[in-house]
Amino acid sequence: MTAWIWAVWAILHKDLTREFRTWERLVAMASFAILTAILFNYALDRTEVDPARIASGLIWMTVLFSGLLGLGRTFHLEEEEDALVGLLLTPIPREALYFGKVAANAVLLGVIGGLLLGVFGLFFGLEVRGNPWALAGVMALGIVGFTAVGTLFSAISAGTTMGESLLPLLVFPLLVPLILFGGRATALVLSGGPAEALGGPVRMLGAFAVLALVTGGLLFRYVVEE
Amino acid sequence: MTLPPLLEARGLVRDFGPHRAVADVDLTLDVGELMALFGPNGAGKSTLLRLLSGSLRPTEGELHFRGVPFMPGDPRVARQVGVLSHRSFLYRHLTARENLRFYGRLYGVVGLEERVARRLETVGLQARMDHRVATFSRGMVQRLALARTLLHDPALVVLDEPFTGLDLDAALRLSRVLTEVRSDQRAVILVTHDLQRGRELATRVGVMSRGRLEVQAPAHSLDGPGLEALYRRVVEVPS
Amino acid sequence: MSLRMIRWTALTLATAGLVLAVLFHWQVFFRVPTEASMGLVQRIFYIHAPAAWVAFLAFGIVALCSAVYLWLGEARLDRAALAAAEGGFVFTTIVLLTGPLWGKIAWGTWWTWEPRLTLTLLLWFIYLSYFLVRGATENPGRSQRFAAVVGIVGALNIPLIHISVLWFRSLHPQPVVVRADGPSLHPDMLNTLLTAMGSFTLLFLALFLLRYSVERMGDRADALVREQLHPTPGPTPRA
Repeated sequence: MTAWIWAVWAILHKDLTREFRTWERLVAMASFAILTAILFNYALDRTEVDPARIASGLIWMTVLFSGLLGLGRTFHLEEEEDALVGLLLTPIPREALYFGKVAANAVLLGVIGGLLLGVFGLFFGLEVRGNPWALAGVMALGIVGFTAVGTLFSAISAGTTMGESLLPLLVFPLLVPLILFGGRATALVLSGGPAEALGGPVRMLGAFAVLALVTGGLLFRYVVEE
Repeated sequence: MTLPPLLEARGLVRDFGPHRAVADVDLTLDVGELMALFGPNGAGKSTLLRLLSGSLRPTEGELHFRGVPFMPGDPRVARQVGVLSHRSFLYRHLTARENLRFYGRLYGVVGLEERVARRLETVGLQARMDHRVATFSRGMVQRLALARTLLHDPALVVLDEPFTGLDLDAALRLSRVLTEVRSDQRAVILVTHDLQRGRELATRVGVMSRGRLEVQAPAHSLDGPGLEALYRRVVEVPS
Repeated sequence: MSLRMIRWTALTLATAGLVLAVLFHWQVFFRVPTEASMGLVQRIFYIHAPAAWVAFLAFGIVALCSAVYLWLGEARLDRAALAAAEGGFVFTTIVLLTGPLWGKIAWGTWWTWEPRLTLTLLLWFIYLSYFLVRGATENPGRSQRFAAVVGIVGALNIPLIHISVLWFRSLHPQPVVVRADGPSLHPDMLNTLLTAMGSFTLLFLALFLLRYSVERMGDRADALVREQLHPTPGPTPRA
């Protein structure tokens, strides 16, 4: 068990070291997120709609889009020198590789999520009326569920000739629960709605995350092994 | 009582759809041996190596490691196998030391720092250990990859065309280090297109053609032209 | 079961399915009473609902066969999953075509975010990605494993998607067949519905078996090609 945790940690550490040295994915995802927010400003007629009121949905859509941008690269990073082959030759369990990758992706996406909240606050005067910790919790739960699904399918899309263009098609139909309940829960916290109303969506987000992590952990080996 | 051989393959077959990449290969490899495997492109050499190193599941046949059957992903076997291919498995944006540390953790190497330092010394890279792999020449990358291969002291070393892409000096330097890989404690299997270099390093040679391991012979029984004649005879059999 | 048997079974099922199809069309046009609130257009329901039943049945088969395929690695299960997916895709398309036709007349709109219709649309896309994944890899074994993962994850997610889409207010007629106090349908309506369901199920099974036998023939062709290229081993030349 300790060896297992060590392996997850080693992969997380390696991915983050690499990322904070090259900034490749973070810069791409962050720029995408900020530019999308700027485009939203012009896409929406601000005399008709107040962006702050529909912010939760926009934030989640942007998290998903920029997330796919970053997640799609997960396994390409391992392919420039066939490192994935090297990883699969090591004695670590395949699940450890999967969970290490999910953890690294979730950290990156967490950074993007935080950035997006800031950007929306700045651009659209978005305020958090509810508990900011609840907001962080909702974002974290949704992001874990999303990365769990996205990491599994990015391993699949990286193994096909279609590459990243396949990823949205694979992932989006599965993300309806996430966007719905993530959006609802975020809207509730942002507007300072009653805490009891949060229970349902949060439970669904939790169920989604757990289901995604368990199936991802079980199925990952069939994606990478030959 | 004799010990079972380190690695034994019986009736190994691997299909990719309608294509049979490896057809009915029997192979025994013991410690102290270095087997050089030759054959034209598409003969199934790399597929055979992937089967032997446990990174590909055979369609048919059995693999035994020290007499115990194993399947790909078996951690007990993975811990004792090291693979060097012409792709390095290294991360360009990490330093030499970080790369080895990373792999060392995954293999659960004890006394990691000391081991990393020693391996870097063996391949002559200790002066560059804190430089990123991206700044290395092809030959240096390949030597670092060799250090990675030997990091966990594997009993079976698999070398898949390690000289590809190296210039003359780099190749010479690598093959000098490779002579030290052979030992009483381990078995080595090497695939290369360079017949002479392979023969010089090897104790045994084999030639593959169309998925079959057609010939095996002790390396000392053949001189340079003899090996070439044998290779031509096997590869150009009309059918 | 031999391929011959499979094809005969499929033809028998197809014939029975077609006879039932003629029967239920006669019922729909000449026998069933017109539903009071929705009028004539409600009769499309006898095609719409049975097609939906088959679409989800097929996806269940895909998921089940895929899971057991990954577990046992038995190629036949992968072929069965593919055959079920193709049949299911046809019926999912029927649901998506008949739904808006009915909706336009009954509710005055081609599309509403009705939960079950939305779910079916997402199912259609999951099927689509299942086929795309199969087609987009060069290595057949890999495409089968990828597709199996898509099938399993898709099926596991359907309940969650279902709960999600139910959150939206439903415009769809409430379930009328399965109720604690017995069916509330007119007996003729129920009869017609059951006939249609039987017909579609038989037709689906026939399609499934035919498609499956085609895949098996493909496997046989592959095996023949392999046998041609790699005949059973003769004596091995020795050096």
